[in-house]
Amino acid sequence: MSAVIEVSGLTKRFGKFTAIDDVTLTVERNQICGLLGRNGAGKTTLMQLLTGQDFPTAGSISVLGGNPVENASVLGNVCFIKESQRYPEDFQPKHVLKSAPWFFPNWDAEFAARLVDDFRLPTNRRIKKLSRGQLSAVGVIVGLASRAPLTFFDEPYLGLDAVARQIFYDRLLEDYSEHPRTVILSTHLIDEVSDLLEHVIVIDEGRILIDKSADEVRGSATTVSGTRAAVEQFTASREIMHRDGIGGLASVTVGPLSAEERQSATAAGLELSPVSLQQLIVRKTKVSSTEFEQSA
Amino acid sequence: MTTITSSPSVQAASRKPASNRVLAVLRLHFVNIPTIFLWPLAILVTIWLVNLAIWWLVDINVSAPTDLAEARDGFGWTGAATFIFVYMMVVAIQAMSLTFPFALGYGVTRRDFYLGSVVAFILMSLVWTVVLTAFAVLEENSGGWGLGGRMFTGYLFGAGEWYQRSFVYLVGMLFFFFVGSAIATVWLRWKASGVTVFFIILTALLVALAALVTVTRTWPAVGDWFATTGYYGVVAWSLIPAVIAAVAGYFILQRSTPKNS
Amino acid sequence: MDDSRPIFLQIAEQIENDILGGSLAEETQVPSTNEFAAYYRINPATAGKGVNLLVDDGILYKKRGIGMFVAEGSRARIVAKRRDQFHTEFLLPLVAEAAKLGITQAQLAEMITLSPITTAAPATAASTTEEKLA
Repeated sequence: MSAVIEVSGLTKRFGKFTAIDDVTLTVERNQICGLLGRNGAGKTTLMQLLTGQDFPTAGSISVLGGNPVENASVLGNVCFIKESQRYPEDFQPKHVLKSAPWFFPNWDAEFAARLVDDFRLPTNRRIKKLSRGQLSAVGVIVGLASRAPLTFFDEPYLGLDAVARQIFYDRLLEDYSEHPRTVILSTHLIDEVSDLLEHVIVIDEGRILIDKSADEVRGSATTVSGTRAAVEQFTASREIMHRDGIGGLASVTVGPLSAEERQSATAAGLELSPVSLQQLIVRKTKVSSTEFEQSA
Repeated sequence: MTTITSSPSVQAASRKPASNRVLAVLRLHFVNIPTIFLWPLAILVTIWLVNLAIWWLVDINVSAPTDLAEARDGFGWTGAATFIFVYMMVVAIQAMSLTFPFALGYGVTRRDFYLGSVVAFILMSLVWTVVLTAFAVLEENSGGWGLGGRMFTGYLFGAGEWYQRSFVYLVGMLFFFFVGSAIATVWLRWKASGVTVFFIILTALLVALAALVTVTRTWPAVGDWFATTGYYGVVAWSLIPAVIAAVAGYFILQRSTPKNS
Repeated sequence: MDDSRPIFLQIAEQIENDILGGSLAEETQVPSTNEFAAYYRINPATAGKGVNLLVDDGILYKKRGIGMFVAEGSRARIVAKRRDQFHTEFLLPLVAEAAKLGITQAQLAEMITLSPITTAAPATAASTTEEKLA
């Protein structure tokens, strides 16, 4: 499997503020990769650097084998859909759907038409007059129907309601299965997309916290609960990610447990519960979980 | 029940020649014909109709021949047709401020976008030149629409032959397109503060130039130059700032980013 | 899909359950990886991993150009594997919980003999449990 994105020592500063801090990562070809993190962590900046829309302060970027800045042969294979996409004056969705094929050689007009139906998008209404959900739908449709070998979705589905989001995830999965390509999704609705992801990158304050396969991340933590004494004894020699407790009960999140360790925990009367991807990332970025949930 | 899976072709996009990409940008500028052509044309026609009404009112209310001749001469000072030039400048500004960030999402390089836009602006200039010339020829041959009206043949466009007037239309269009888009690229690159600084520098330069001329007492020479170059000559010289703007715009855009303002 | 174990393992288990339960007969075709992915709403690579696991275990095999099929004898293999796992996954937790509640071995044995077990061979099931408890 060859790498479709290779980044080394990438840094981006805006005056005194360092948005991206010495980032090194690799994205393999034909994967759905999640780019997760808080608001302002650097997800959008990173994507703008990867698509040549912004310029690095230091470091190197290789996308589809070349530097993306002003590189038509690379950028012709890239589609970047943003949440706050602005459109030319008085554009209607039909203008977007008409012009997109000129830029994306793999554009599938039938697929686009089906998506327009799925999202109930009025193609003849001015984009300025569309609801937030419909506006998001325009971006999502372009991103999906472009079938660009490298597609970035920068939280373009925040405006979509839960039903529309599910439609997006389903269509993405369906189309990705038939036409594998590299998709990078940034979001803070982690639990919604966690099953779709093959690779997970977590960025916090411009630095990469996690860059692993989704399976590795999913299995990397367990919560052990029970009486304080029992919990303390069991978790004594382990790396502790999070502590919680009430009264005489304690609940501690530790790393992965082997089958024998699980058995001895149950034998000691302890309860083991799984840690979802969202909880794990929340713990690692040390914020309260409410900030993530509020965006839903 | 296995499905045939095919990865989107990476080769297809890499093989696209530059001319196709520039053509795609050109088409993008013209995808919404109502906004860039039909509406301004409609407004131009409306302005013309309003002017017709005014000329007609003058015609029926002023009876003395000398008074009428004077009034009709006055019509020549109208700036009604300047509307279309200003509108096109706005089109150029929006092309840079709105279409540019949009096109970047389509995977277009700044170079291809700018080249496509330049071609688009030149094309639009030619189209409007034809439209205005058509109106002007009709105006001239109908004696000002039978009312002595002069919207397209006013003094603004000089007192020469029809092709000299067309030259003014063309240069005027090019000037407004490229200066407009250049200012928009300044805004894209350096935002509002950048535009302010730009105008301050421009004003300072002009003032300095005027001061220089005053101090060296060369105003008469300047006046002579205008006289010898003639109206159309001076218009031709304004191609220079248009070209400078076109070239500067390219380089300014090269380092611009589509940041949300 | 829950968070307790890797998703590809859960997929493999689900397919095994279907084979055990009889809804996927031997030598019949199973849905494609993409179909599993769409149905469970998971990444096709993950679904593929689960399927490959079963291929490695000899539960499924691939017919080139057609798809994945349930291998002959796979049901028996699954039963054997599950029986081995039965001890750790079901029996030990049962015994631990019983101990917590102060249920004696005799009481436990009685509970088991009295409860209706709807298996194909109730005699063998009961005797195996009794053997392990002793």
